[in-house]
Amino acid sequence: MVNRKLVKFLSLRYKILAAILIVLAGGLVLLPKYEKHEGISPEQLLSNAISPERYITTDELADRIINQDPSLLLIDVRDENAYKKYSLPSAVNIPLKKILEDDSESYLNQDEFDVILFSNDNFHSDQAWLLCNRIDYKNLYVLKGGINKWFNTIINPKKPTENMASNAFELYSLRKAASMHFGVAYPKKVHKQPVIIKKASVAKTSTAIVPKKIIPKKKKKKMPTEGGC
Amino acid sequence: MKEKKQNRHVYWNPYFGGFLLGILIIFTFFITGRGLGASGAMKSSVVTIVDDVSHEHAEQSAYYSKFVNNDKSPMNNWIVFETLGVLIGAFVSGALAGRIGWRVQHSPKITRRRRLIFAFGGGILFGIGAQIARGCTSGAALSGMAVLSTGGFITMLAIFGTAYLFAYFFRKNWI
Amino acid sequence: MGPLIPNELISFEWSSIIAIIIGMFFGFILEASGFSSSRKLAGVFYGYDFAVLKVFFTAAIVSLIGLLYMDYLGYVDMSSLYVHPTYLWGAIIGGGIMGIGFVAGGFCPGTSLSAVAIGKIDAIVNVIGIMVGIFIFSELYPLFEPIYNGYFQGNITLIDSLGVNPYWFVFILTVVAIVMFAVTDMIRKRVKKVFY
Repeated sequence: MVNRKLVKFLSLRYKILAAILIVLAGGLVLLPKYEKHEGISPEQLLSNAISPERYITTDELADRIINQDPSLLLIDVRDENAYKKYSLPSAVNIPLKKILEDDSESYLNQDEFDVILFSNDNFHSDQAWLLCNRIDYKNLYVLKGGINKWFNTIINPKKPTENMASNAFELYSLRKAASMHFGVAYPKKVHKQPVIIKKASVAKTSTAIVPKKIIPKKKKKKMPTEGGC
Repeated sequence: MKEKKQNRHVYWNPYFGGFLLGILIIFTFFITGRGLGASGAMKSSVVTIVDDVSHEHAEQSAYYSKFVNNDKSPMNNWIVFETLGVLIGAFVSGALAGRIGWRVQHSPKITRRRRLIFAFGGGILFGIGAQIARGCTSGAALSGMAVLSTGGFITMLAIFGTAYLFAYFFRKNWI
Repeated sequence: MGPLIPNELISFEWSSIIAIIIGMFFGFILEASGFSSSRKLAGVFYGYDFAVLKVFFTAAIVSLIGLLYMDYLGYVDMSSLYVHPTYLWGAIIGGGIMGIGFVAGGFCPGTSLSAVAIGKIDAIVNVIGIMVGIFIFSELYPLFEPIYNGYFQGNITLIDSLGVNPYWFVFILTVVAIVMFAVTDMIRKRVKKVFY
């Protein structure tokens, strides 16, 4: 009895297998579609966002620029007009609106340089940082305080009053030295002057350094291009 | 009686073999991100032989020079190791089923010599074709199909299409 | 998650060992499915044995369905898999030459290797032929180069070139393949049996 049932079942086995295959393939068609979450997980993003390590101070940045740190890549996320008026030496202009475009990716998505994002304050650069971090770009930093703070601390440092601690004086002399490096003439307090010099230095260094920096990170596909056979 | 004895090939059900092969392809893609292959190892062997015979020639040739690398042997390659595995695996399977033995398999209507000549000629054609299409039935067609590669599908259709077209001219060799 | 080696979940040093293991399974399956027998392979062209077609398409469909499910569930990222590049005329002409070679020699490289392992002399000759073919190609490479490098369309998939939904395509392919299996069984019953 059982045997006969088994024989009957076995005679249908190909049809059953075919049905299973069609059901599986049909299941693919009927699967509910959802947008895949791209980039890093929300938890990861949160922990990156609240980490203070994503900021770099103006003093630190000035120090690295003066020491000609080769791993530095400055990205100005303000619009083009502001960039033309004034920017940090050898900065690359990628306006916030264009930050996700393909051209920008070669600058932002790479692992050779520390990318420093800056804007007038750190509002827009923070936004840019968040956008880029979400799609898992590495080595991104935000210049704390942006260009405004850069002006107030490096280009035009405030002279400490006499009753301040001694390290304030040290800091002041460091900043003063830095600002001299960036072309501020002391003791003349000229507001416009750094702009002109900066422009010159931008033009000079950006042409010299920036082309070198366009080294897009290799895509994750590291497989040899040779396929199967 | 002789036919009966020759016909002792008890093979797997083709659907079962196909199912396992499909699982293997998934596994291969899951682990390595690429498909299976076979003729790549033969290419590596040819490059190695040519390189040994005349290193200068291999350096100068536009094709060999792609694969000749001074600090790395062309034999030190994923596909070569995979092919070694193919030989081992097929030997194990053949040994378990008792199919091992030196013999030439041919239709009773043709001579052994003719079979060998055609096998050689077919091999030459396959070698040239596999290089032009950058892969053979396993590398281009099968692994290509698994990831829906357009090139893989075209290669597959071209192989089977022409084989059917030309099957008539070679019928004496097989039936 | 996957693929594991390109995502560095398994270190690169393991790849040779994994290659041998994968190859062993590949060879075992090929041999056990009867792909070491050239007359069984050639049977697909004369209608007395459709094992090649059945194994080939079952494998393609199983792997397609499996990979798409794994992609859907997030175990493997389809977009990071190696996609065989499409050189339109290279694929057509190369495939055509391979087709003639297939029906003349009765082997393709993978199957001839598995036949070499069990001592088929015609397979050994075939492998030597393939190597000679590769040698001829390399020597005449300037002649073949326009085809070899021309008509490059990138590492595209059918989704790019036909603009179809992959799931529907796989479903239709599955149905076509099953119908094809049924038809081949009918053909085989009508064709004279060939013992090999």
